[in-house]
Amino acid sequence: MEDKFDCIVIGGGVAGLAAAMTLARNNMKFLLIEKGEFPGSKNVSGGVLWGSDLNKLVPNYWEEEDGGWDRFINHRRLTFMDEQSSFSLDFKSSHFNEKPYTGVVVLRSKFDNWLAGKVQEAIDASDFAMDSFIATDIKVDEVIMENDKAVGIKTGEDEFFADSVIIAEGVNNLLTRQVGLQDKYVPADHMLTGIKEIIRFDQKVLEDRFQLNGLSGMSNEFVGWATNGIEGGGFLYTNRDTISLGLVLGLKDLREKKQKPYDVLNHFKQHPTIADAIKGGEVVEYSAHVVSSGDSRVMPKELYKDGILLVGEAANLLMNAGKAIQGMDYAMRSGILAAETIVEAKAKNDYTSATLKEYRKKMDDSYIMKDIKGFQDAVHLLHTDVMQNKVPNLVCDFGRQFFSIKNEPTPKSEKMLLGAIKRHSSLWELAKLGFKARKSL
Amino acid sequence: MKLLSLPERLGLVSYRNQAKSEIKPHIIVDTDICNSTCPHKCTTWVCPANCYTMDEAGKVHFQVEDCIECGTCMYACDQGAVDWNYPDPEIGRGVTWNFG
Repeated sequence: MEDKFDCIVIGGGVAGLAAAMTLARNNMKFLLIEKGEFPGSKNVSGGVLWGSDLNKLVPNYWEEEDGGWDRFINHRRLTFMDEQSSFSLDFKSSHFNEKPYTGVVVLRSKFDNWLAGKVQEAIDASDFAMDSFIATDIKVDEVIMENDKAVGIKTGEDEFFADSVIIAEGVNNLLTRQVGLQDKYVPADHMLTGIKEIIRFDQKVLEDRFQLNGLSGMSNEFVGWATNGIEGGGFLYTNRDTISLGLVLGLKDLREKKQKPYDVLNHFKQHPTIADAIKGGEVVEYSAHVVSSGDSRVMPKELYKDGILLVGEAANLLMNAGKAIQGMDYAMRSGILAAETIVEAKAKNDYTSATLKEYRKKMDDSYIMKDIKGFQDAVHLLHTDVMQNKVPNLVCDFGRQFFSIKNEPTPKSEKMLLGAIKRHSSLWELAKLGFKARKSL
Repeated sequence: MKLLSLPERLGLVSYRNQAKSEIKPHIIVDTDICNSTCPHKCTTWVCPANCYTMDEAGKVHFQVEDCIECGTCMYACDQGAVDWNYPDPEIGRGVTWNFG
């Protein structure tokens, strides 16, 4: 066991790379294993990386001429849709132009590969420049357990040994299931399928159409008609010269309502607001991936066991509580915290749960678990029929009346609103919704 | 903007080992379950790559070639018919995203 590593990180996504970067910076000897041709080659996200943790991993990342990210977000929009209309909450502020940015749009094939390059630089600068590795094209078949403690991994005929294993395999978490931290079968109930298209434009056309300035970008989420009655929502994010346009669709609902996700995507693209936004674009990629909903009922029983830590989507760390779809930032922070715990474990020479439980504590103290815990009601509320269908229809109905100017006497806004409420819901239902929303948001 | 059909969309995907005539399937589907006891056969519509199809007699068929490793079928199938894994880098299919 001469060649034993301090840690093996499984998966070269945001979580795994954040862990690897932290391990390298702390002079740890590690192996990061990625099954794709290069880190990012099999990864898909919406996607916006929210928050400013990226600046911790790659300080002043924005100074690089062509970094791995696409655009920073200074314009946010939440849109309610019915068949013909869209009613948006729209917020744009130069406040968000300040660095560090609080959200950057990324395309994972490019971003993760770029981040892996930064990890390699950190390895080269560490004490284990010749002994820590990022290895690609390797699929891990199983985590080797001895007396219920992880001691390494197996890939084909080869075995690699380590004092600890960080599982960063993503939402299709086979190894998490193998080691017993997740159930063998995870039902569709709180999972969604994300599908998207990358649509390319002439960069100038894109920038003019979405009023982008330099590398500024917009994020737009959609609820209502977008999903054709399936629980979920839509998104549009601006990249450098492409947009990411897609949907996240409740898997259980897709199953029950017998709809094909790609048909629902075409439905979404035919909405007049979307059709105008994507006119003249060329689809250059179609992709799909399962995502978690943020419902804590689906999450693994624990985030650690002897010799093992779970990070990112492998632990279903993703949440949409109505304000943003947060997943990559959770991945990044959990990766950092897991690696810090491994550093402590090495100092104590104890990789058992006695030390690794500190990771759980760090997570509970972090914004990730505080938010997931604090916003469970919002997650549930977001997936109700009222929020998914009635409110978008009501809001658009009201908007259509409010913004219609006819050459006839105008009713008072309150009357318009009451009419819209009656047509789509009831005062009582909205009062209940308001009460719930006030508590949950 | 013209809407794309699924084959047109899948035509934009870069698959690994595309030139290989023989690939090792990474997902094994026990279609006997689909075609005997499954009450819904949902994979035939939830799969974003339409790897699961139903013939005129209502029988489910599976092909792995178009799979984009999204994981949908692993969660959607509640009948135990889908044995899901990632493709082998050398003899499997699977995707390499250009954008991701």
